Amino acid sequence: MNALRDKFYLASGYASGLCIVLIMLIILAQVVGRFFGFIVPSAEDFSGYALAAATFFGLAYTFHEGGHIRVTLVIQKWSKRARYRQELVVLVFALALTSFIAYYSWHMIWESYVFEEVSYGYIPVPLWIPQIPVGLGSLALTIAVLDDLILLLIGKEPSYMPHEGEITMEEL
Amino acid sequence: ATKWHMPTPYGDANLPTQIAHQFAEEIKTGTGGELDITVHSGASLVKHPEIPRAVRTGQVQMGEVFIGIMGNTHPVFKHDNIPFLATNFEDSEKLWKAAKPEIEKQLDKEGMVLLYTVPWPAQSLYTKAPVSKLADLQGLKMRAYSPSTSRLADLMNTTPTTVQVPEIPQAFSTGIIDAMITSPSTGVNGQAWDYLSHYTDVKAWIPKNVVVVNKRAFRRLDKETQQVILTAAANAEEKGWNGVRAQATKDTATLAQNGITVTEPSPELMTELQKIGEIMIKEWKEEAPEEVGAILNQFYQ
Amino acid sequence: MEIALVSIILAAAMLLMLAAGVWVSLALVGVGALGLYLSGNDQIGLLFATSSWGASTGWALTALPMFIWMGEVLFRTRLSEDLFKGLAPWLGGLPGKLLHVNVLSCGIFAAVSGSSAATAATIGRMTLPELKAQGYSDRMAVGTLAGSGTLGLLIPPSIILIVYGVAAEVSIGRLFIAGALPGLMLVTLFMGYTMIWAMFNKSELPQHDAEQISLGAKIKALRKLIPIVGLIGFVLGSIYGGLTTPTEAAALGVFGALILAAASGSLSRSSFMESLLGAVKSSCMIGLILVGAHFLTLSMGFLGIPKALAEWIGTLALSPFELLIYLTVLFVALGCFLDGISVVVLTVAVVLPMVAQANIDLLWFGIYIVLVVEMSQITPPVGFNLFVIQALTGKDILYVARAALPFFLLILAAILLISWFPEIVTYLPTTMTQR
Ligand code: NA
Ligand code: NA
Repeated sequence: MNALRDKFYLASGYASGLCIVLIMLIILAQVVGRFFGFIVPSAEDFSGYALAAATFFGLAYTFHEGGHIRVTLVIQKWSKRARYRQELVVLVFALALTSFIAYYSWHMIWESYVFEEVSYGYIPVPLWIPQIPVGLGSLALTIAVLDDLILLLIGKEPSYMPHEGEITMEEL
Repeated sequence: ATKWHMPTPYGDANLPTQIAHQFAEEIKTGTGGELDITVHSGASLVKHPEIPRAVRTGQVQMGEVFIGIMGNTHPVFKHDNIPFLATNFEDSEKLWKAAKPEIEKQLDKEGMVLLYTVPWPAQSLYTKAPVSKLADLQGLKMRAYSPSTSRLADLMNTTPTTVQVPEIPQAFSTGIIDAMITSPSTGVNGQAWDYLSHYTDVKAWIPKNVVVVNKRAFRRLDKETQQVILTAAANAEEKGWNGVRAQATKDTATLAQNGITVTEPSPELMTELQKIGEIMIKEWKEEAPEEVGAILNQFYQ
Repeated sequence: MEIALVSIILAAAMLLMLAAGVWVSLALVGVGALGLYLSGNDQIGLLFATSSWGASTGWALTALPMFIWMGEVLFRTRLSEDLFKGLAPWLGGLPGKLLHVNVLSCGIFAAVSGSSAATAATIGRMTLPELKAQGYSDRMAVGTLAGSGTLGLLIPPSIILIVYGVAAEVSIGRLFIAGALPGLMLVTLFMGYTMIWAMFNKSELPQHDAEQISLGAKIKALRKLIPIVGLIGFVLGSIYGGLTTPTEAAALGVFGALILAAASGSLSRSSFMESLLGAVKSSCMIGLILVGAHFLTLSMGFLGIPKALAEWIGTLALSPFELLIYLTVLFVALGCFLDGISVVVLTVAVVLPMVAQANIDLLWFGIYIVLVVEMSQITPPVGFNLFVIQALTGKDILYVARAALPFFLLILAAILLISWFPEIVTYLPTTMTQR
């Protein structure tokens, strides 16, 4: 079970990383193309889509790693009992918001598909295709939040907590 | 009172946005304050590419878009972006009359009702050196931002090059591009004299913005209010066609005052460009023979 | 509902959520949704989807993950160490010594990058670990970085100047030239403050014996800077040589950094993956905050809060100087809750006519706006430099904001200076573009 979870979060991170590499390649192709006098059609559109995919694919990994930031200065002095309740409330609230985000992302994809929406740029791309990563990524984020809520409820520490306050530079 | 929202893509200094403000004001007065439309200019509420979707799905009730931005949805939305089809305002008005029924039909399919349109000044050629024949452009890098501008650049024996609007000044200064086709207004707004020297008034095409309303939101209004909107729309359309003529003259003069050499195109250049226009009109027709054919027949009558 | 009451409810909701430990990005989405709900909107979900798709596919934003990745790559090479070894002999005599590396390298990197978050992320990734290892005050290391990261916006190229130039119809080329002198002035102010601080806080600096370094050794040390100066020169050269636009230059920067890392033998499969996952963590964090900030901006647009505030100022019939004071207060207040670009986009339509009517030069006003927006980058609760540095150091936003406070005040001083001496802004553009 734990192995599967690790794979899930790593997949989220790698998918996002791949899209970042893709952005670099698309833009480099455009620069090289300009130098040699050919156009990479819709390069702006495609790098924009890759950016959306990079952002959303990696949300779950980032959440799991404690990468999404929050203010801990107020809550860090609270008692253990108060902290438990606070984390519970915050995680339930986060679950509600991420479900909202995921639901409406898929709603948007469905609409783009039904109305056959296309991009306005060089190549008419059916918009539901580049929107799929947004839906998948926000769904994965919802699962990641749910995962931590369950951890908290069974008395374990949510995965993002040990990473918070961890000073990245101390990796040295 | 009912509160409506109307996102527009361009800033307050532009003619279409000024007309939009007057349009909203006229409706507010006409309905005794019952319908209050807030104009959100400069894409401050919704980004330009998202405006058609926002209106269609009722996220906002009204919106303004550049017609060409919907060109991938159906070829009829490209009618005002075809080079050398309609190159003066009279022809352009005639073309709009011919295209309007098709555009209304397509918008209706998308759940939108057409209210009015505002033309831009004609798109002409900006360069760093004088141009009297097509050969003067040979091998230059020309800005392209759509399949048709790219095809045009190809046919003009230039290299199509993609550059986003905000980066145009830098791109000209550093030699990423040497030529572009755009309106005198865009040249004035971007202070084109900072980075180029010649403007050849070829008047390649006259693009337009269109203002649309969500069909459901419109039908929910009583007949009286609908009539107020339609009257205000008719007034706005008239203001647009009159205003743009003055705007074009004024902006072209501003270019000249700031040191850009403004010239009428030579007959030789125009003959060469018209030939390119014929090719592109033919290619446009092939995209949707029925609808485009109907527009062209009506236009050439 | 009364617009003032709605504003107070939203600000209170935001502070409550953030204090309770809700993630910043989700708090922004929550407040945005609450705002739309209070305005009686029934399309909240659809509006969220539309705005988040628009916000996350922005072509100009692609530069951000590129620069963040570049920082991650450079951090894993010897280049960051070399940056210090090259500069240390030269800065040894200045009070505050290596703290100036933050200011100077941010200033140099700002000439390549158009955003302040990217500048802080790239430079901070290299300098913060090293400054800590050498025993410099954490607070001052963080403060100088937060402050000088904002130079990314002022020193050309700059995203915010492009946004303003398009909205105000001021030549972007002139705006870029106008930003150069104020940028240098800010570097000077930051370094001056660091020196004064160092003289009064000797205990918070590493204690070295003052060693005499010969000029020859100093020049020899400069050789260590060749790779990094070469990289920046390569990117700048490609912009001004007409190969790339400033936005695309970021991709070239990563590519160059990867080649440098490979050439110096510090690029392995695992370090490549680590750098990429590091970039994923930072870019996803910032990406989701941008999505939330964009949604909140949309909600504010529907409610009309920024516009109402700006219109209220317009009714006061102020003198130009008073107008600037009121606008500064307005922008700082809005800048606490919205990101800088949103503040400009939401208010520019109302503010620009007032400014033009008061006979304030729109070119000058562009630089003024950049300085104000820079301040908003380091004010809590919503400040992108604070977010980046929290992610880099694990220190809380409020700690970073306190550390950055002196630099906030220095930017305010810069605004006063350009108000008294507008020539700081207008001198270069008027002399350089005359024909
Ligand atoms: Na910059
Ligand atoms: Na702020």
